[in-house]
Amino acid sequence: MKIAKYPFAVLSAALFTVMLITPISSLSNLIWLASVDMPVSLFSSLEVILFDFQRLGIVLLGVVSLGFTVAFVVAGLISRYSSLGGKYLYAVAGSAAIGLSLILMVELLFQTQLLGGNRTLIGTTLHWGAGFFGGYFFYNLISEEKNYTFIIRFLGVFYAYFILGLVLNWVFTPVSAAAEFGFSLYELNSAAQNALLRDFTSFFVATFLFSILGVITLNPVWFFSAGIIYIGAGIFNLVAIYAHGTDFNQIFVGEFVLGSWPIALGLVISYQQKKLQE
Amino acid sequence: MRAQNLFLILLFSSGLFPDYKFETILSDLNDAWSFEFLSEDKIIYTEMPGKLKITDFLNGSTIDIKNVPKVQYSSQGGLSEVILDPDFSSNRTLYLSYSARNDEGKSTLYLMSAELNKDSLENNKVIFEAQAPRRVPVHIGAKIAFLEDGTILLASGDGFDHREKAQTLDNHFGKIIRINKDGTVPADNPFVNVKDALPDIYSYGHRNMQGLIVMKNGKIYEHEHGPRGGDEMNLIEPSINYGWPAITYGIDYSGAVISPFTEKDGMQQPLLHWTPSIAPSDMIFYEGNKYPELKNSFLVTALVSKDVKKVTFSESGKDIQESLFGSLNSRLRNIQASPSGLIYLLTDGPKGKLIKVLPEEL
Repeated sequence: MKIAKYPFAVLSAALFTVMLITPISSLSNLIWLASVDMPVSLFSSLEVILFDFQRLGIVLLGVVSLGFTVAFVVAGLISRYSSLGGKYLYAVAGSAAIGLSLILMVELLFQTQLLGGNRTLIGTTLHWGAGFFGGYFFYNLISEEKNYTFIIRFLGVFYAYFILGLVLNWVFTPVSAAAEFGFSLYELNSAAQNALLRDFTSFFVATFLFSILGVITLNPVWFFSAGIIYIGAGIFNLVAIYAHGTDFNQIFVGEFVLGSWPIALGLVISYQQKKLQE
Repeated sequence: MRAQNLFLILLFSSGLFPDYKFETILSDLNDAWSFEFLSEDKIIYTEMPGKLKITDFLNGSTIDIKNVPKVQYSSQGGLSEVILDPDFSSNRTLYLSYSARNDEGKSTLYLMSAELNKDSLENNKVIFEAQAPRRVPVHIGAKIAFLEDGTILLASGDGFDHREKAQTLDNHFGKIIRINKDGTVPADNPFVNVKDALPDIYSYGHRNMQGLIVMKNGKIYEHEHGPRGGDEMNLIEPSINYGWPAITYGIDYSGAVISPFTEKDGMQQPLLHWTPSIAPSDMIFYEGNKYPELKNSFLVTALVSKDVKKVTFSESGKDIQESLFGSLNSRLRNIQASPSGLIYLLTDGPKGKLIKVLPEEL
């Protein structure tokens, strides 16, 4: 557990930092849109912030994790072989990692600024600040003794983060969500559209909430609930293909993965709890 | 039953379009970007590193034109479009668009007129410098077209990092420009009398325009690259705001939302949008007789979908599209019809080719 906590601490700090970074781009964009008289509302703002957190965030998570890995290893070595150390060393390392990552993203990717929020001095400063807090968060994670629940919680949060994308798509852009599932929403009649939208949205929102509740309570029942729904989707996908003659749809593979993931988390929690009782 | 349907589809679709054959006319072209026919068997073409060349298909000779402007060949920049003056046969004048550094060392878009004298350009004159300075030459646009009245339209892209400036009229980012052949501003331009607006702007709210044509009836059609999704084809009219980046059907390359809005009063909707993106790179309206099935269609080359989209519009304005020449499996950069109506395609990249599409009777 001692060693295993480090990679998960890096990933957790990266996810925390991404949570701070993505709204910078979202808000700078929303501020500009409002400045040109676009009808920016609470609903559209929420749409932009949540979509950015999920879609831009997943890209940034990779970049930030890589940057943090290098920066925190260097900070760890400095801490070990010098009198420097503590939370501020990691905070500065996190800030430097974000700063360098932003520069490299520009220089290596067509010399253009892919992150809208980083096009102004204030935006750049906020990104560096987010890195600072990310490093500070990392230090707090590694300075405490951790047990298995830390990893379970991270994997549960990451699972919910993934499901969040599906939730957002069905809530805000159901037409493109349907297209990603391989059909056109417009080809259905109104009653079918209504049934599909309410059932699909409820399906994804429920599993998202189950996984979040599992993370908070560490009660395996929540993870099992999420898992059963997706395993069920996978099974009945195959039933639809082979018993009812629908077209082959390989999405059942993803459904089994999305079902197995929380079930595995639930089983680990159950096993560990049983062990503790013994 | 499924196999029967497939057979019927194949049978039916095979009758729609002939089985096109292709002939490679030129190869090893170094980032060729555009070409024009000087005659049925002779073309003039640009290569982005800064070469302007004339090739005669009959004897295979290629002339390297001298006195070409110095360009900034970097990223998406370089020597871009070459277009002949409508009176080229008498005045030998042509126009070149290109990216180069301005006095402050920033990259921007230029338009030059020059006279072609055998193997050299003469009387070179920069008739337009875009007030759109950027660090690197990305999203420069650079397409040129002539209006019936002899004025020139030039597409000036949004510069990627400067996309928001496409919505303001004090710069040339994301604009279509209209100027006279000598670089002066036509008195009837839409923003001539608008305070703080650049008088040469014709329309605005564009992204990276790569197709620009003027029809015989005077209508102007343009297409432009969207980000991830949201490539657009537009009918261009003076003073109109085409909405980028306030409204768009695409999202950013990073996955971020550019705008949650796809429409707004005062911002023009596209005639069609391609989502996911096809990366449209050039366009002609085919009026020749060599390929009857393509007559009176827009033919749009694409870099990502590696085909040509045949686009027509129904009476209700709905677009009807077919994919052509996909068997080439090449990023297509440019398309032109020869004086006799034969279609030629230019492939993209450092080992580009000029390919002739053979009509059925050949």
